[in-house]
Amino acid sequence: MEHYLIIARSVTHAQRMQKLLGRSGIRSGIFRAPRELTDLGCAYAVQIQRPDLTQALMLLHRERLEPVQIYLEQKGFYREVSP
Amino acid sequence: MIYFDSAATTFQKPPAVASAMMTALHTMSSPGRGGYGAAMRAAETAFACRSEAAELFHLDNPEQVVFTMNATHALNIAIKSLVPEGGSVVVSGWEHNAVTRPLTALKANVSVAEGPLFDRDAAAEAFARVIKPGVDAVICTHVSNVFGFVLPVEEIAGICREQGVPLIIDASQSAGILPLDMQALSADFVAMPGHKGLYGPQGTGLLLCGGRETKPLLEGGTGSISVQQEMPDFLPDRLEAGTHNIPGIAGLLEGIRFVRQQGTDRICGHERLLAQMAAEGLRELPGVRVFARPDLADQAGVVSFTVEGKDVEEVGRMLGERDIAVRAGTHCAPLAHRSAGTLESGTVRLSFSAWNTPAEILQFLSAMEEIVY
Repeated sequence: MEHYLIIARSVTHAQRMQKLLGRSGIRSGIFRAPRELTDLGCAYAVQIQRPDLTQALMLLHRERLEPVQIYLEQKGFYREVSP
Repeated sequence: MIYFDSAATTFQKPPAVASAMMTALHTMSSPGRGGYGAAMRAAETAFACRSEAAELFHLDNPEQVVFTMNATHALNIAIKSLVPEGGSVVVSGWEHNAVTRPLTALKANVSVAEGPLFDRDAAAEAFARVIKPGVDAVICTHVSNVFGFVLPVEEIAGICREQGVPLIIDASQSAGILPLDMQALSADFVAMPGHKGLYGPQGTGLLLCGGRETKPLLEGGTGSISVQQEMPDFLPDRLEAGTHNIPGIAGLLEGIRFVRQQGTDRICGHERLLAQMAAEGLRELPGVRVFARPDLADQAGVVSFTVEGKDVEEVGRMLGERDIAVRAGTHCAPLAHRSAGTLESGTVRLSFSAWNTPAEILQFLSAMEEIVY
């Protein structure tokens, strides 16, 4: 299954994102972001399913919860996509 | 024991507070330090606590709720974020040492907005006279910890907005007792303990941040952007270096839930009723001077008194011998005592919580009869 990782600036930021998405029925999980994805180290990522990305980004943008970065995960590889 | 020292710390807590703390000790580690279960449970507890506090105090964003050790810690962050060394500050005449000592350390130029006790109009006018553009900060307690006087923070906030001056509110005696709306006030910072009217454990406090730039008191690990050597520029991480007091935060979460379930109106009404009973009873005793208006207007559940011919500490000791806990002396607030003219004598202070009862007031008044006669 392909999914997106929305990198948050902190665990609290990731939790706000998850709460907002959950209110709109978008299921997500919070995980430690892979080290290779974070230049500045120690970050959390909100994982969502691929079809939810557009709606998720609209919701986050509306609440000014801007992602630090977004990655598409495919078979264990990550590709950065534009927010 | 009859406990009437809730202005220092509420002693009786909702049972859920202790059980949540015990659960946290056994099941949680540290938020932001891992993705494993114990770390994520800690993170969920911290976020739930921030969210409950944000709801209670009308903040949109739980990231603006910062955990501190106590209100003093929160006030120090707020003051040192806004006031440079030698800066210019306006305070009320009812401030605690948690405000005046940091200002002394900063060698701040302090103007006191002086006015008589229990006169809100005079207090607002006094602030209006001294708040001018260029003042680094206005700092005002919401409720005097000595006399329970409720300061007109809404009016003071309006004056600050008009003059473009930042405002810090010390909500040590009002959080969980009086309505406090961060959005309506547009305050820059509101500092509060977790262990008083929010019924959390000792060692907890909150700083609500309104959006102005903040200056960390401590630098260290935050579990975020760890490669960068400067503190994060985002809240709450910027102000929360080091490991969190998760058992304390778990307890505070349950305390805040208790307050929201009870409602601040109900808690305040109960405390005021007890304060009025105590004040009326004390007034009937010879030589007792009670610092309260007859209708307890503009006063929260805190009452100070003195007994002619008796040292306040002696009265406190005699009540203590009868297993009644009160606070005597100057209550870490010499400025408030100076404003009320009680710096020489000090006062005996009664302060109540949701757990006190009218029967306890009657027992206290009987004890006072023995002491006075």
